[in-house]
Amino acid sequence: MIENRNIAMQGDDVAENVRKAFEMNRPPILSIRDLTVSFLNNETWTPVVRDISFDVGRKETVAVVGESGSGKSVTAMSVMRLLPAETSRVQGSIMLDGRSLTQMSDEEIRDIRGNEVAMIFQEASLNPVYTIGFQLVETLVRHRRMMRNAALAESVRLLEKVRIPAARTRLNDYPHQLSGGMRQRVAIAMALACQPKLLIADEPTTALDVTIQAQIIELIKHIQQEDDMSVLFITHDMGVVAEVSDRTVVMYKGDMIEAGPTEQIFHHSSRPYTRALLTSIPQLGSMTGKSEPEPFPVVDHTTGEVTPPDPADRSVVPAPDPMLRVSDLTVRFDIRGGLFGGVTGRVHAVEDVSFDLFRGETLSIVGESGCGKSTTARAIMGLVKPKSGQIRLDGGELGELSAEMKVAMRRKMQMVFQDPFASLNPRMVVGDAIAEPIARFTDLSARGVADRVAELLELVGLAPDMARRFPHQFSGGQRQRICIARALALNPQLIVADEAVSALDASVKAQVVNLLLDLQQRLGLAYLFISHDMAVVERISHRVAVMYLGEIVEIGPREAIFENPQHPYTRTLLSAVPVADPSRRHMNRGLDETEIKSPLRSVDYVPPRLPIREVAPGHFVRQVS
Amino acid sequence: MSGTQSHNPLVTSAAKVEASPLAHAFHQFARSRLALFGLALLLLIVCAAIFAPWLTPQNPYDLMQLDILDGMLPPGEASMSQGFIFRLGSDEQGRDIYSAILYGLRISLIVGVISALTAAIVGSVLGLLAAYVGGRTESTIMRLVDLQLSFPTILVALMILATLGKGITNVVLALVIVEWATFARAARGTALVETRREYVEAADCMGLPMRSILFRHLLPNCIPPLIVIVTVQIAKAISLEATLSFLGVGVPVTEPSLGLLIANGYQFMFAGKYWLSVFPGIALLATIASINLVGDRLRDVFNPRGA
Repeated sequence: MIENRNIAMQGDDVAENVRKAFEMNRPPILSIRDLTVSFLNNETWTPVVRDISFDVGRKETVAVVGESGSGKSVTAMSVMRLLPAETSRVQGSIMLDGRSLTQMSDEEIRDIRGNEVAMIFQEASLNPVYTIGFQLVETLVRHRRMMRNAALAESVRLLEKVRIPAARTRLNDYPHQLSGGMRQRVAIAMALACQPKLLIADEPTTALDVTIQAQIIELIKHIQQEDDMSVLFITHDMGVVAEVSDRTVVMYKGDMIEAGPTEQIFHHSSRPYTRALLTSIPQLGSMTGKSEPEPFPVVDHTTGEVTPPDPADRSVVPAPDPMLRVSDLTVRFDIRGGLFGGVTGRVHAVEDVSFDLFRGETLSIVGESGCGKSTTARAIMGLVKPKSGQIRLDGGELGELSAEMKVAMRRKMQMVFQDPFASLNPRMVVGDAIAEPIARFTDLSARGVADRVAELLELVGLAPDMARRFPHQFSGGQRQRICIARALALNPQLIVADEAVSALDASVKAQVVNLLLDLQQRLGLAYLFISHDMAVVERISHRVAVMYLGEIVEIGPREAIFENPQHPYTRTLLSAVPVADPSRRHMNRGLDETEIKSPLRSVDYVPPRLPIREVAPGHFVRQVS
Repeated sequence: MSGTQSHNPLVTSAAKVEASPLAHAFHQFARSRLALFGLALLLLIVCAAIFAPWLTPQNPYDLMQLDILDGMLPPGEASMSQGFIFRLGSDEQGRDIYSAILYGLRISLIVGVISALTAAIVGSVLGLLAAYVGGRTESTIMRLVDLQLSFPTILVALMILATLGKGITNVVLALVIVEWATFARAARGTALVETRREYVEAADCMGLPMRSILFRHLLPNCIPPLIVIVTVQIAKAISLEATLSFLGVGVPVTEPSLGLLIANGYQFMFAGKYWLSVFPGIALLATIASINLVGDRLRDVFNPRGA
């Protein structure tokens, strides 16, 4: 049967190629030549995009991919002429269907925007005070000069087109009543309202959960085929690129590194930067058959030289007692409302969570937004108060200790946060930030503290003289290293990393993951690694726990979870991860509009306690209701 | 040419900021001509107040230097006995209005600055505490703030001074009681945003004591909006002090501030002795206006809380 599907796919490919070949002969819809964009900064013009040239053909998807600061969004904005005229300068030519966008008057360009070129953004740009129906009708009346009744009917059709269930009743909803994925669907419907020839999608799935991201990508692919639209897709995620694009433009720090068919870029790229970008992206499945964590291989950006991962033994030394034991942890948040502020509902953030963590081991908690993974971490760190349950660290129950002992105990575990820009005090030099806990909790002299700070900075791969700098003088990856150094200041045994690498660019992410693995090896640390990024989790963890609606639905050795997932939710999660293999692009995964359920419940809700089954040694699965 | 420079834009721009954050802030500030004018005027006024004894022909508070024969001279008249010119005229006791204005400025400025700064310290500490601790502490502090702000400031100040009596110390005390609530509210608002940021949680995780979280982590990050409020509140305090003195409950008659000078001359306004009230009035106006110009610009500079 699988073979049959393959043959069918090949047939599709042939038809696809014939169609493409036909389309190739027509002039491209968008043609960018020698585009240079400069910004006015302190009275000098600094180019942020240099000499970019590429075409977007008819019915073609072109992805512009690059890390933050590569100029990919600026390129998209300059096509829409959305850059402020006073502080930016656009040189070169941008032709849309044979007309020059750079030479148009403001009136003409306004006519182009929305009608011929539409744009969707990372956050769905909907007006919060109007219903989505009103906004759709308004757009149709203004741009397509439709009568109100016709516009209403067309709105329903558009919402159905973006696969919003019960479209007619949804028209009266305000944007805040919809989930993030639904809002992005509505934004796409708005963009489609005027039947644009070109859709510019600027990181449209970055803010979404992985299962929702898969849905939106699938939706964009479907709509493109249905409407014969061209798509310019801006993203930082090579996995997404492989899923959507026919051709790919790789950008790095304002320069175009290369442009070409996606297959060629992925398989035969000659440019070191592209290869570095590709090896640094976590590829799900690259760890199949390995039971221990393994660092990412490192590729040099300029020479293309590959340093293979360090093949050290990363297995956990068996110990009789766990270092951290969490049992029956439950955290609920009251939702207050009404005239007298009574409890109207409860968020069951964490429900009956139990696990052990051993010395030198990494346990990852994965799940989508609202599943309670961060709350679990914060409850362990004492940042939120659990409703019930026990947290034992080194045999001591945290709830029973005196306040002083508790503080002393807590110092054995430290946290690394997601946002490297918010987790350092912007008005304190980083040396002081690292020195603060050392000076307070040890009797080292000023000299000794300074030496320890230098030692910690070297440990995380930074120069000791950087201690005198302020956080804003560092890049995101460097800041995250500083946060790790600060967390290590008091020699903790456990590091709780809450989405610690999620905000970083792919190549930097790989480096920080390697650093964490290296530190674990040298210091015997245990990690509780909270992440939604399955591919990073696959690299770093010994064991994985999958959370859904506040509960752990599956926990076990990493190999078992990734290669033999038992719970249906784990399977959904794994299949939603974009795969960096362009040959799978034409596979149709089918459209799905399941939403992530909310853990918000009524006051009298009693959660069902479903039994847990051990399917293999150490591999536990919660029964499906 | 731009190859090396642009390859690390983050480092170069950061280095520029590092060169001198103050100079950068001043550069931003100086973009507004009006604010620059306000700053120059304010500096002039402050200097005039500080160096008053060297700039004036007479000490208006020293009764020995006053000559009743010089009373009520219009601007430009020469003194009968002392040989200097009353540039802005004199009052009924022969007090030189120009000298009285400069000495009055000293009192007004000192009262304004001390009361605003004290109120800022008291208010910000309570506001930070409210934001960080939360719960009952927060409700208590914030209900007090609401209570304070629900009364008209002038009424509260009048009541306090009516009970405590006149005097510079009492005026300062009254102004602090009236103004702390504004700072507490602003500090709490800013601190609430900052408390949710991860660097505060990181400090919590390390088990640092509350004192160092409040003063080493939270406070420095809440300073910019507070600076703006301090400047505005100094101007407010000066005008409130002038009002209180005008109403006769402020500073003592022997050491007139600007408000009292205006009050003294007020009764002669319709007798054509305009200089008694108008010149102190202009001085008060110029002081408050210049402080407000500077404050407004500071708000503009600090508001886009960049970097």
